[in-house]
Amino acid sequence: MRPLTLRRLLWTCGALTAVLLACIVLALKLGAVPISVTDLVWNLGRIAIGRGDQLPTEYRLIVFDLRLPRILLGILVGAALSVSGASFQALLRNPLADPFVLGVSSGAALGSILALIVAPQIALITPLGAFLGAIATIAAVYFLGRREGQLDSTTLLLGGIISASFLSAIIMFLMTTLAGRDLRGMVFWLMGDLSTPVPAGLRWIFTAGLLVGIGAIYTTAADLNLLLTGEREAIHLGVDVTRVKLVVYVSASLLTALAVSASGAIGYVGLLVPHAIRLLFGSDYRLLIPASALGGAIAIVLADTLARTVVAPTELPVGAMTAMAGAPVFIYLLRRGIR
Amino acid sequence: MEFKSSPHAPKCIDADFSKGRLAALCAWMAVLIFLFGAAVPAQTRMAQATAEPPAAAPAAHRFTDEIGRRVDVPMDVKRIVSLAPNLTEIVFALGEGDHLAGDTDFCDYPPEATQKPRVGGPVNPNLEQIVALTPGLVLATKSINRRETVEALAHLGLPVYVTDPHSVDEMITSVERLGRILHAEKTAVPLVEDLRARLSDLDRRLAGTVPRRVLFVVWTDPLISIGRDTFIADALRRAGARSVVDTTAEWPRVSLEEIVRLQPEFVVFASAHAGDTQHDIDALRSRPGWRELDALRHGHIVVISDAINRPAPRMVDAIEQLARALHSESFVSRDRQSRRAPHVTEETCACAR
Amino acid sequence: MSASGNPTQALGSREESPKSAGTERLNVEQASFAYAASERSAPTFTLGATSFQAHERELVAILGPNASGKSTLLRLISGTIAPLSGRVELDGQETSRLDSRTRAQHIAVVHQESPMVYPALAGDFVLQGRHPYGRALRLASKDDIAIARNALAQVGAGHLAGRTIGELSGGEKQRVILARALAQQPRLVLLDEPTLHLDIGAQVELLERLRRLAEENRYAVVVVTHELALAAEFADHVVLLHHGRCLRVGPPAAVYQRELLEQVFEAPLEVELGPAGRPRVNLRARRSEDAT
Repeated sequence: MRPLTLRRLLWTCGALTAVLLACIVLALKLGAVPISVTDLVWNLGRIAIGRGDQLPTEYRLIVFDLRLPRILLGILVGAALSVSGASFQALLRNPLADPFVLGVSSGAALGSILALIVAPQIALITPLGAFLGAIATIAAVYFLGRREGQLDSTTLLLGGIISASFLSAIIMFLMTTLAGRDLRGMVFWLMGDLSTPVPAGLRWIFTAGLLVGIGAIYTTAADLNLLLTGEREAIHLGVDVTRVKLVVYVSASLLTALAVSASGAIGYVGLLVPHAIRLLFGSDYRLLIPASALGGAIAIVLADTLARTVVAPTELPVGAMTAMAGAPVFIYLLRRGIR
Repeated sequence: MEFKSSPHAPKCIDADFSKGRLAALCAWMAVLIFLFGAAVPAQTRMAQATAEPPAAAPAAHRFTDEIGRRVDVPMDVKRIVSLAPNLTEIVFALGEGDHLAGDTDFCDYPPEATQKPRVGGPVNPNLEQIVALTPGLVLATKSINRRETVEALAHLGLPVYVTDPHSVDEMITSVERLGRILHAEKTAVPLVEDLRARLSDLDRRLAGTVPRRVLFVVWTDPLISIGRDTFIADALRRAGARSVVDTTAEWPRVSLEEIVRLQPEFVVFASAHAGDTQHDIDALRSRPGWRELDALRHGHIVVISDAINRPAPRMVDAIEQLARALHSESFVSRDRQSRRAPHVTEETCACAR
Repeated sequence: MSASGNPTQALGSREESPKSAGTERLNVEQASFAYAASERSAPTFTLGATSFQAHERELVAILGPNASGKSTLLRLISGTIAPLSGRVELDGQETSRLDSRTRAQHIAVVHQESPMVYPALAGDFVLQGRHPYGRALRLASKDDIAIARNALAQVGAGHLAGRTIGELSGGEKQRVILARALAQQPRLVLLDEPTLHLDIGAQVELLERLRRLAEENRYAVVVVTHELALAAEFADHVVLLHHGRCLRVGPPAAVYQRELLEQVFEAPLEVELGPAGRPRVNLRARRSEDAT
């Protein structure tokens, strides 16, 4: 018997936070313009004592206005995608569930394109459209996945995959026919990209939404453990299954929509990270959710650092990096099947 | 006996849990908040720093760029970063090549442009690299660069001037404006005058001629041509040609069947090296579909400089080339007396068979 | 099929068995239910009014062939569905009106094993039984762990705590699932076909264990089964269902009548009274019937 203790929970999260901090320092250091770690630590110290204004301007621009916001965005996106992936996996009792696989990312991309077409002059219209697109797609996929009133996870996954390709086709259609519009950015969106900074006003909304979403899911962590052993069992062990499903479904959708509206369709993180965490720390959702949030942050920060540096000064979309790592894992899980 | 029950369990929190969740939640919420907290002061400090550059930097001129943005360009721009090949060409044409601090991977003309530090591709340039080059002005062009790039650079406090030429005349106007912005009027004024004179000379020569119906080939596989609103379409008009493809899309994929039906008089290719294209054309001749094109069968093929693809001064060379190839009769008599002859070299003007 | 067997249904008449002197736990009183595709269409399956009681330390068997309404009755008792008419009470409280948490503290339900998506240790699995007592994260307290260990020991599976569920044998898995039910510290344990995947030795062991645990923990046990022989040997009372009707309620000796059972189970049977006053059921091969 190895029951989860507060001590183990905190140690694991603490260790992952340490790894994340190391990754942040690494990501701050690496890039097209090389910066030494000692320099970085020294300057961080200078800022800490309130003398940051003495830093050279380009240095401050590169490290604090370009790299740091991008890293923080990566952390939020990674945490959101991983936690929503882990949640969908419990909700659908299917280890292959992932916001990307469920078509949500394509829906968000289409939403943002439509928003650009309908009202290009309104500020923040792109993230708003992405959010609505993500929510609508999840609702549609959820509806497709129902058979005789029950959520069938195979039907749901297939529904997601089919929705994704259907939505991609519409996106292709729009991009070809509406060539006059400035839709070139969409290509990056479709691949998942962190290089476009989130507008300052949206940053706080995004952070708040992320914390609320993860927090809400975390309150059901113990219930999710039971849901995984079976819905009927969970009911008999006192889980209010309807409420838990509603809370997790809404929160996971919110997280996905937030992540996609900020960074486009970064795939496979929601699949890859929870599985890695399960291998390392077990599948107890009380540990899995915070660990996935941290693990997702680590994964995206590392993937984006790679994307920035592999062929510098040219940048790769971070979605290409995650797909390169994620698709083989997906195939592996698919072939191994549900044991 | 009635048992009062609520749908959910009462919401009391036992000691064990409150310790567990609160501690765990607090721990990593604190981490996130700390991280954001660290970023925000940096942001606000930066905003202050960018809000008051006139204190440190010399006075700036306020310009409105071609997409309607207000840009404060320093009086004396020493370092320019160009984000598109056409802009790089314009900077060199204005004699400001020495002040070009960086350009893109695609900037290949003039040859000196390839020696400049690179900031990546025009669509996804590396912002860090741009910042590291400490530019006094960043040049972008709407049809090539992304809006997000421009916004991000502006957000960092860098002046970004965006051009948006849709026609040959607008391109020349762009050159004129950039000349003013870069304080290079001395080069810009004669350059612009020269370009305008050559174009009006062309107009005069071509007056009364019937425009040739041409297919402009951007790409052969799949066949991509140009739309009616592109500057290339305008360039074709200036050269006495009219594209048989008439669509609002900028770079339409067209079906070969449709082209066979339309039977253009000439097929126009743009290439940096005429030899390569000749090889491709020979290959095309034997392919189904292309075989059916009268223009190909009769050797009505024109290969012009790929300068036509870039809204920069060199474009006028390409227009002249094309005009000469399509309307040679208009040039025969006065060719010798033309001042502009050196601009058209036999090497780049290859009229196949 | 006409119910020509025995018209005198023993509704509500409960014959006291000598040792069930404890307090009454479960009271099923004229409970009925009907399934319908929608509210307006005719019901596709109905469970007629059923009544019986179970005291602490008693083991009641719900007996019947497939599609006789056993599972419906079990769901009624567990409170996941509310009866159309009548009432199902546990210690005087209607089970369907309990909130899910209280219900899980009072009633443990053991189903046939369900597939696990991710592997878990047997000990942690048993700790799930403490779920209705905890809040939110439900980090296991010392008490929870002691209760879980005790539950495992009670089913003779203390040594399995550190093994993953996936590597256990059918009988071991059944014991671990039973231990989780014990960890709920219930007043009533419901088991749905617990012997289905067990060999005969494990079946006998399980039923003996259920009896002993009921005795030790003072709860009532209701077992849904179609194992006539096991029910005859271990049940204090038997509820005989057939086509959604409750035909008989009573001690095995009263319910086990050859003609009745033959009709319900559609098989030639022999019923004889054993030495302890319990009936014994034997299968009679059709061949011998032909011969007579």
